[in-house]
Amino acid sequence: MRDMAGLDEGAPLFVQIAERLADEIADGGLVEGEQVPSTNELAAYYRINPATAAKGIAMLTEDGLLEKRRGIGMFVAAGARTRLLAERRKRFAERYVEPLVAEASRLGIDANELVSLIRDASYGQGGTTI
Amino acid sequence: MTPAISAAGLTRRYRDQLALDQVTLDLQPGSITGLLGRNGAGKTTLMRIVAGHEFASAGTVTVLGASPAENETVLRQMIFIREDQSYPDFKVRYAVQAASLFYPNWSHELAGALIEEFNLPLNRRIRKLSRGMRSALGIVIGLAARAEVTLFDEPYAGLDPVARELFYDRLLADYAEHPRTVLLSTHLIDEAAGLFERVVVIDRGRIVLNMAADDLRGAATSISGPAIAVAEFTGGRSVWDRRRIASQESAVVAGALDETDRARAAALHLRLEPLTLQQVVVRAAGASMASPAEKNAERTSA
Amino acid sequence: MSTWIKVARYQLTDRYVFLISPWLILTLDFLINVGIVANYPGRQGQVYVGALSAIYIVLLTTGALAIARQLPFALALGVSRRSFYAGTALLALAVAAVYGLVLTLLQLIERGTGGWGLKLHFFRVPYLLAGPWYLSWLTSFVGLALALAWGMWFGIVHRRWGLVGLLSFIAVQALALTAVLLIIAGADDWHGVARFFTTLTIEGLTGLLAALTVALLGGGYATVRRLTV
Repeated sequence: MRDMAGLDEGAPLFVQIAERLADEIADGGLVEGEQVPSTNELAAYYRINPATAAKGIAMLTEDGLLEKRRGIGMFVAAGARTRLLAERRKRFAERYVEPLVAEASRLGIDANELVSLIRDASYGQGGTTI
Repeated sequence: MTPAISAAGLTRRYRDQLALDQVTLDLQPGSITGLLGRNGAGKTTLMRIVAGHEFASAGTVTVLGASPAENETVLRQMIFIREDQSYPDFKVRYAVQAASLFYPNWSHELAGALIEEFNLPLNRRIRKLSRGMRSALGIVIGLAARAEVTLFDEPYAGLDPVARELFYDRLLADYAEHPRTVLLSTHLIDEAAGLFERVVVIDRGRIVLNMAADDLRGAATSISGPAIAVAEFTGGRSVWDRRRIASQESAVVAGALDETDRARAAALHLRLEPLTLQQVVVRAAGASMASPAEKNAERTSA
Repeated sequence: MSTWIKVARYQLTDRYVFLISPWLILTLDFLINVGIVANYPGRQGQVYVGALSAIYIVLLTTGALAIARQLPFALALGVSRRSFYAGTALLALAVAAVYGLVLTLLQLIERGTGGWGLKLHFFRVPYLLAGPWYLSWLTSFVGLALALAWGMWFGIVHRRWGLVGLLSFIAVQALALTAVLLIIAGADDWHGVARFFTTLTIEGLTGLLAALTVALLGGGYATVRRLTV
């Protein structure tokens, strides 16, 4: 397959593009009020059809994460990051915690052991103390 | 919106075969559609009829709302570059010059840039060009014409991978600046996959698939791992294909997988691999994915 | 029709076929004839040659190539079959008119120089191109147009019915000619034929050939319509 900057066949391309832009917003790479790359720029970067890139942008606009400024382009909407993080927090439990607990239980790791494992991991990452 | 290309019950019969059988489709303006299928499936015949080069036996075809055959108004806005394009016996520069005569949107700038990028020898006679160079010439003309309806029939014969990449990139870039309706037939599906908004698959003269490319992505996933786990995971789902060796099994499951599914698969130690567009299309066109050797392995271990 | 003009320009993209080859061949032909006549020892009187036919033969080929080679690419570039044919026919007529005039001028020069100082009748063909200059021009025009139109038919047949069709087309013409000759020989009426030709004025002949040319061009226009590439 062509080098599409890591896009894969797992999900519609426009969804993947939307997710990557969302990641950037969540990570702070794109701040509120900042202009996002144009449809054509995205298409050229990912080597895909501009209509696909446009769909990705449209998806984020619908979710209220991007806004259009007529004649200029697309910009990160106010409060986008906050909204994104809240949304991802909600999914965090589904995506990561539940499978973690299920696997732990399969391996016979009880809740306490699990919590201490989590602590070790967060020290290792130099992250927040729990 | 009037479709850019529309066919209804389009049929083309030759003495001993049915090249097109009741083909019906609508392609919207301003889109890139991939026309896929095996050799001899009917891709070229379909495009020839759309371009007015060949006549239908039955059914209708319209381009920009009107029948294309001998219709100057429509033909003016369409260009058809085919793999076996026959050129007059003159130099490359004259072919480019001739094309610039007939297309109102012709871009000398783009033609010049492409000629340079493809290293086309302007003063060489076309019949002395290598296959790849002939294809490059077709591509230069096809893109620089900026025709409202642009048809490419396997335009990359003989082009090396670098030149093909160039073609895809230039097509996308010019399409972004000057949108038009593009129908591109190809066997190299995975290479061109990123270009298509829509995919039409034709097999033995019939349309077997006509979907948005994005709907095809993630339309099927290959699940592999311990046979028992695979059986558990695929229980109750539509399974397209199953292969087995010793205690390992690989199955292709239709339908998209969501987060929960992925989590469950991970928990079961199963590997998930989404099928590429090419694999989905090959399946749709009826060809078996397994190689003869794999088929043998399946038979002996079952 | 602007498309017809564009087709004519397209046909002239490679100048060789329509513009250069007829004159190149004719010049060579002329020089060869001049060379032979100039070096022919002890000849007397006027020398008549039928070498002017060379240009007609070249135009036959030109007509065939104008269709056979140029049509498929023209169709790819969005030209309708009818426009392509009409534009090409228009060019053929224009070329025939201009070349006819040139031949007539050369005729006048030939007369003025006493046959190029060699009593050579190259451009002055008895009976056919022997009359007043305007008649000469008309006959040349029709003759050249006929050569092109007939040549174009070979191109059309080839494109529509392939190599087999082309060979059949040639065979049929050869057979027809043979048949006509056999009929005349059979009826032993060579005198009748000769009489016909002597009573047929050059104006009449020109008219006949003109009618034939129109028929060929018209027939060609109708035949290209179902041609496929």
